[in-house]
Amino acid sequence: MSDARTLDVELHEDRHSEHMMLNMGPQHPSTHGVLRLILELDGEECLKCEPVIGYLHRAKEKIGENLSYHQFIPYTDRLDYLAPLANNVAYAVACEKLMGIAAPPRAEAIRVICAELARISAHLLGLGAYAMDLGALTIFLWTFREREAVYTLIERICGARFTTSHTRIGGLATDLPEGFLSELDAFVKEFPGRVDEYEGLLTRNKIWVKRTQGVGVITREQALQFALTGPNARASGVDYDVRKAHPYCGYENYEFEVPIGSEGDCYDRYLVRIAEMRESAKILRQVLDTLPDGPVLNRDEAALKTVMPEKEKVLTNMESLIHQFMVATESINAPPGEIYFSAENPKGELGFWMRSEGGLSPTRMRIRSPSFAALQVMNEVVPGHLVADIMAILGSIDFVMGECDR
Amino acid sequence: MSTLTDHGDPAAGAALHAAFPEVTTEACEYRGDVTLNVQPAHELEVIRHARDELGYSLLIDRFGADRGEDADPRFDVITLVYNLETDKRLTICTTLGGAEPETPTLIPVFRGADWFEREIWDMYGVRFSGHPDLRRILMPDNFPAHPLRREYPVEGEGDYAAPKRALGGAVDTADGSVSVNYTPTEEPGSTGGEGSE
Repeated sequence: MSDARTLDVELHEDRHSEHMMLNMGPQHPSTHGVLRLILELDGEECLKCEPVIGYLHRAKEKIGENLSYHQFIPYTDRLDYLAPLANNVAYAVACEKLMGIAAPPRAEAIRVICAELARISAHLLGLGAYAMDLGALTIFLWTFREREAVYTLIERICGARFTTSHTRIGGLATDLPEGFLSELDAFVKEFPGRVDEYEGLLTRNKIWVKRTQGVGVITREQALQFALTGPNARASGVDYDVRKAHPYCGYENYEFEVPIGSEGDCYDRYLVRIAEMRESAKILRQVLDTLPDGPVLNRDEAALKTVMPEKEKVLTNMESLIHQFMVATESINAPPGEIYFSAENPKGELGFWMRSEGGLSPTRMRIRSPSFAALQVMNEVVPGHLVADIMAILGSIDFVMGECDR
Repeated sequence: MSTLTDHGDPAAGAALHAAFPEVTTEACEYRGDVTLNVQPAHELEVIRHARDELGYSLLIDRFGADRGEDADPRFDVITLVYNLETDKRLTICTTLGGAEPETPTLIPVFRGADWFEREIWDMYGVRFSGHPDLRRILMPDNFPAHPLRREYPVEGEGDYAAPKRALGGAVDTADGSVSVNYTPTEEPGSTGGEGSE
């Protein structure tokens, strides 16, 4: 036995060959979009991994500086296109912070529903694709079954599955449709059992454990240095969740745990996401129980020039039609100032830093995207792993290029 | 609302200013965020002090901003750091003048500043001295301009200009007015004669 081991080491030492440069992507299936990795390989071992990004750059920050505040809402759908509702919420709250207005309680509660549904659907896709890349095909089909249920709910909320654009500055485009709460209730009742099913397939699966435990370890120190946020940072032991640290949309009213990992490996990132889905279902249950009545748009006298009127009224009432016309054409004259607002998105902290010098559009719209920071860590983590581990690491980091490249 | 404006810690801002009274301005607070302006040459040590002594150990973001062609100094480089113990955020801003703005890299303090600085170089043309790999990151390598500078048109220019059709409802920010350049190629209804029967 021991002879074989030493022999193996000698063979290994002998084997050093020329290094090979391998171009992975931008169309590789496990890069989920258009990420390119330039790998330097010694046999099967990866020595260097340099991500090349920018293939999906659509100049969102520049566009944001040239559109009015309302016009930019549809562009936020296309940031993290796996959780458009969560982006809508983050952008709307950022604008409200700049304008100094607030959304009414019912709108805030519905925003929480939106954000948590988005989190569940994003994690379902992340988990399904992650497992599929490692050869576990069933889990992908199962998560897409629930993801379909979530998208049906999202379609009920705003009529679209992906391009939601549901929030307005100071509230929401529409109230919840009739019968929605019972549908959401049925989903929330069923969902934890489904998560158990996923766990049954993976958590103690020997192949899964072998492929993920101890692979792609990101230490707490690295997470801090590389600006990691969200599940990736929490898996490395960074106790930071924007919903807890700086509650927005009334998150302080709901009880939920923030799952924290200890090892920071691919397995921990998987466990953290599984636990987050359960917590999201818990939050949804509490919103269902406490959903307040009232308007979904801020109707204060002071906010009239900022907030759109209700859409039903626009179609039946002359005054509201004029009101919408004025808000849409004259737009919002934001007060001068600089604000930063960040929300806890499925991928991490999505932040908007806006500088307004007064006028119709911000003079600087910075979008702090969690995937951009997360991908940077690749060259830190990948060296020393085998090529097949890269799929595990990419899957566990769960990035989305629309947001990374903006 | 109150929860949206408790992100900053004025005491930490004051402490940082007290540690570097010569090179920093007094911390200012707006909508709950505490911002400190620091001279470019001392940015590194101020942020290192914030990290090691004041506990701002998590880098959140580092990005540029442009005050406009006529402004001097013109470019801001803004760094957000976060304290996980007190759950407070600090904004550190340094302002760069001159035609070829340059400032030391932050990589010795936060290695993750690498890509953020490449993006600032890409978008604004701000150089970071000591950066090991200052290349473009989002734009193509041969791109001729720094597109987030205020004078760069949103529709692009030269070889990178958007096709005219795409410019339909562009907002002209020079005077804040909305200009619609779109002219329909066909009158609606003019072709409907035969098809609609």
